[in-house]
Amino acid sequence: MADEARRRLASGLRLPVGFYPALATGIAVQVGAAAYGIAAQATTGVAVALAGVAVFLGVAALLLHRFSRVNGVRVDGLASQVVLAAGARASVVYLGALAVAIVAAFGSRWWLVAVAAVAAGVGCALGARHWWHAYRHDPAAHARGTSPRMLGLLAVVACLGCAALLVVGR
Amino acid sequence: MTGLDPLIHAPTRLQLVTTLSAVSEAEFATLRTALDVSDSVLSKHVSALVEAGYLHSRKGVHAGRRTTWVGLTPVGRKALHEHVAAVRRLIDAVE
Repeated sequence: MADEARRRLASGLRLPVGFYPALATGIAVQVGAAAYGIAAQATTGVAVALAGVAVFLGVAALLLHRFSRVNGVRVDGLASQVVLAAGARASVVYLGALAVAIVAAFGSRWWLVAVAAVAAGVGCALGARHWWHAYRHDPAAHARGTSPRMLGLLAVVACLGCAALLVVGR
Repeated sequence: MTGLDPLIHAPTRLQLVTTLSAVSEAEFATLRTALDVSDSVLSKHVSALVEAGYLHSRKGVHAGRRTTWVGLTPVGRKALHEHVAAVRRLIDAVE
């Protein structure tokens, strides 16, 4: 009976419309901006990278807010998937695509930067999709994740790091 | 029976903490729907478990209106695991 209520709650949860495309786009923009910014090695480059982080964090915050608003619940595991690409495969895809994008940006191969950015976005969205299916199957085992407070702290640290680079790069 | 927790042994309370183990926090009305209980019944159980340190609650806003968000504390999560383990031992002993 107790398990039935939990299953009823979990099976009723819905991702907001356009969740995966929006997540993929946010990550693709962030990876593309980071690759350009690092390769540019100038103040404007760091500003572009910082703008990419801001776009991604804005998309992530909007998606999590909409999820919470639609379902009346908050799931830290989902927040970790969205903000940190917490799954092993998603992390590997993200880091690999970022590395390829940076190398391609240094060589001014912008088509490859775009391909790598899209690959990062699609890989992370697929990782989130995989986690979502696992969560629906066994919610108790997958619900936990990094708390919003810690995610906020990490976001602030990331932005401060970019801002420090901006100041040092002047 | 060692390990059975009288605070969460009652069916509605067990349903409440089990349901909350699937999420980090749930809005009061969402819980009420999932558990199929009245406002007053849910409120009474939430208050008792918050007082025991098993749940935390905070005021927030959902869909533009003020509401209460409820979540399981680490103490509550541990109590649920221990209670479920005790129930399993009991079932094994009977079978």
